[in-house]
Amino acid sequence: MSKKLVLENVSKHFGSLIAVNNVSLEIEPGEFLCFLGPSGCGKTTILRMITGFEQATSGNIIYDGKIINDVIPQKRDFGIVFQSYALFPNMTVNQNIAFGLKMRKVPQKLIDERVVEILALLGLTGWERHYPSQLSGGQQQRVALGRAIAINPNVLLLDEPLSALDAKIRIRLRTVIKRLQEELGVTMIYVTHDQEEALALADRVVIMREGEFRQIGSPLEIYKEPKTSFIAEFVGTSNFLTCTKKNGKIQFGKLEFMVPDLSDIEEEKIYLAIRPENIELVDVTVSGENCVPSNVVDVEVEVVNFLGAIVRIAFFLEGEEMFVDVPEKEFAKITLKRKDEMKLYFPPDAFYVYTEMFRKLI
Amino acid sequence: MNDRSKEYALPMEYGISSTRMEIDKFIIPAVTIFIALLLFFFMLFPLSAILRLSFFKGGQFGIANFTLENFQRYFTTSYTLNALWHSLYVSIATTIIVTVVIFFFAYAMTRTTISGKTIFRNIIMMPLVAPSIIQALALIYLFGRNGLITAHFFHTSWNIYGSTGIIISEVLYCLPHAFVILYTTLSAVDIRLDEAAESLGATPFKVFTRITLPSAKYGIFSAAALTFNLTITDFGNPVVIGGNYNVLATEIYSQVTNLYRFDLGATISIILLVPSLMAFILNYYISRKTFSMISGAAKPVIPPSRPLKKVSYTIYCWLVSLSIIVIFATVVIGSFVKIWPYDWSLTLEHYSFPSIAGYSAIWTSLWVSLFVGIGGSFLTLVAGYVMETRRPFFKQFIYLLSVMPAAIPGLVMGLGYILAFNKPYYFFYGTPWIIVINIIICNFTLGILSSISNLRNIDPAIEEASISLGGDTVKTFFKIIFPLSRVAFFQNFVYFFMRSMTTISAVIFLVSATVHLASIEIIMLDNDGWTASANAMCTCIIVIVLIMLGILQIVSKKTGKREEGLVSAI
Repeated sequence: MSKKLVLENVSKHFGSLIAVNNVSLEIEPGEFLCFLGPSGCGKTTILRMITGFEQATSGNIIYDGKIINDVIPQKRDFGIVFQSYALFPNMTVNQNIAFGLKMRKVPQKLIDERVVEILALLGLTGWERHYPSQLSGGQQQRVALGRAIAINPNVLLLDEPLSALDAKIRIRLRTVIKRLQEELGVTMIYVTHDQEEALALADRVVIMREGEFRQIGSPLEIYKEPKTSFIAEFVGTSNFLTCTKKNGKIQFGKLEFMVPDLSDIEEEKIYLAIRPENIELVDVTVSGENCVPSNVVDVEVEVVNFLGAIVRIAFFLEGEEMFVDVPEKEFAKITLKRKDEMKLYFPPDAFYVYTEMFRKLI
Repeated sequence: MNDRSKEYALPMEYGISSTRMEIDKFIIPAVTIFIALLLFFFMLFPLSAILRLSFFKGGQFGIANFTLENFQRYFTTSYTLNALWHSLYVSIATTIIVTVVIFFFAYAMTRTTISGKTIFRNIIMMPLVAPSIIQALALIYLFGRNGLITAHFFHTSWNIYGSTGIIISEVLYCLPHAFVILYTTLSAVDIRLDEAAESLGATPFKVFTRITLPSAKYGIFSAAALTFNLTITDFGNPVVIGGNYNVLATEIYSQVTNLYRFDLGATISIILLVPSLMAFILNYYISRKTFSMISGAAKPVIPPSRPLKKVSYTIYCWLVSLSIIVIFATVVIGSFVKIWPYDWSLTLEHYSFPSIAGYSAIWTSLWVSLFVGIGGSFLTLVAGYVMETRRPFFKQFIYLLSVMPAAIPGLVMGLGYILAFNKPYYFFYGTPWIIVINIIICNFTLGILSSISNLRNIDPAIEEASISLGGDTVKTFFKIIFPLSRVAFFQNFVYFFMRSMTTISAVIFLVSATVHLASIEIIMLDNDGWTASANAMCTCIIVIVLIMLGILQIVSKKTGKREEGLVSAI
């Protein structure tokens, strides 16, 4: 059962458009892998090449040691869940789920048993004779899942399966999918543009942009150590500071920040990124004595946004608008409002240092 | 790796059969080639026979034999040349009248708040259920030599035979076709443009000429092109009411049937092809432009019309509708009246048809039409399906072939069939089967276009889902695509059935001593002077078509409930 899926220097060109640019990746059997990236980054194209609906322009797709570039989709034994679910409208839930088994000429008795099993697994018992149009979005998605796993594939591929559902149902189905993967032990390849989803579900995340892999790592790694400024912005939120390096110190406008590990950076222009939750409120979330003096600033509150568990405070620093996130419990102690003064601390090791800044794609 | 996974494992012996997949590779190419061959053999081949006979001496191919002698002869013989001028005159006159009449009718349907719109819409479509001869029959009964109105009421000797008769009957014949186009156009173009203009101070007249009319420009041209094409290629009406006023269509027929001049018939066919082709190409260009102008969000409420506007448009619509109703009423009543317009006692004697064929003609028409209906709708569904799969080379070619039948007049096609297939080894010649094939091919274009448009409504991911689960082309088509296209299939079936029951031009050359069709029997009966029986035959055809339409209503209501999820549920 240990069948590895490997992408080896895979590229896809549509005429002069390079949709996927020479990517390589080894996917471990049984892992939950997520391709995450903005629209048009090539993640769906990679999925379609794996499933066989798109031919790679160059490179190899290897499964279980064999090159499968020219194998037709029917013979690949992968399960697919589509963004639009693509349930057969003229068939009942039962018939939809049984379809793959019927194609394999499985005897009816076995089919019936299996369908009952799958309905139970997905919490759809009782809905056998219903048609897709009679089900809610969440139910339809579960039927689509059931249909894909009925044939017991080794790899399950999902193309933004939850994007059409509302937030609450999405979160619920996320758990269903995660639990399913753990129970069945299938390799799951999940494509999404929703970073929250990716971080919640995946064992490993592949950040894609413009047809390339920008970073591969666990959700924690990606979040805590974003390799590029784009990733710092795309995953979670970041404040960006355009600085210049002078005499070993970083200058941001009139301020001078201390930032560790500057020895190997030769460029003069530096971009710092810091997450709102990592900026501290002096004497509220961090004690003043523990602060490096050069990284403490006084700012004025612009807007206070109450977001439930955290409060996001907007402020200006050297003409740049930034945000600091304060846990609601802490904020309750001080309740700042517009025009109030606050003292902020930028811990040196909370900064991400970049020598390039990504282009903002509107 | 998880041990639970073993519980859910599928026994190894169940997999996707490799042989099935190997065969599957050939299915789409095979079907494509089949359809291409069909169109080649039953459309291009007959057409080439006509070209051969008109451009080459004795119908023999070869550079040495190329000649324009036939065309020369045509253009120098005044009688046959007149047919061309007559055709153009009649077609242009009809086009102008129909376009104007229908424009205001469609305007009334889409821009006013008169009541009874549903009734009007249904009445305007009525001419479609009858052969394009019913108008001529009715007009003769009303305005002919013994016409109810001309002889009976006004005691004049004036009658409607000739160009007047042709024009009026063609106008009444083309109304529904033009209406469909202009109704769609005026519905799609935003009514709020009119309102905006009014709010800026434009008078109703200015709004009409500067805003409404120009925005419907493409629809008007399209309707005009279609009307022109329909009129110039029509045979049924001119042959009955034209009298000595010959047009291209009747000229082709008389050259071939009465004078056995196939070469001249072929030549005139080529001449008929020219305006017909031009109108078709014009329409094609226009329809491409129209699509880009239709805004999806243009369905606001129509502001209530002023009383004067309401009354005048209502009267207008009733006048147009009445003219259609009168045509149908005359023919139906005329079939039950002993001697029109003198003896008004009702009788069924005209229904025992005094021709050789009689009821067998109706019977033949019925089962020919059923075959055409099933064969035509199935063929166009399969052809449409093939077009939607990714085969760039084949696709363009098949598309071109599929669109051609609409450019070829039915009469020309029919002549081509007898020229091409009048050989002993074509076993289907002289049988009803050649008629079945002919009608299917002649109406192929609309069938396949409607299939394609319906197939486009199906989420493409559904096919991919089937493939990913191991479905091959045939299984996907029969288990998924076909069931989802049920409504479209029935609609297409009825369309083909209706065309088959009412067509005259395409089949006039294909009937024989042994094969009779109801629509042609009408002409035969009328020729022999049995006008009342001709009306009776016409009525029979109408009844059969209406029954089939009724069946479609019932069937689509029944399947309609399950078709809610026709498009994938997103």
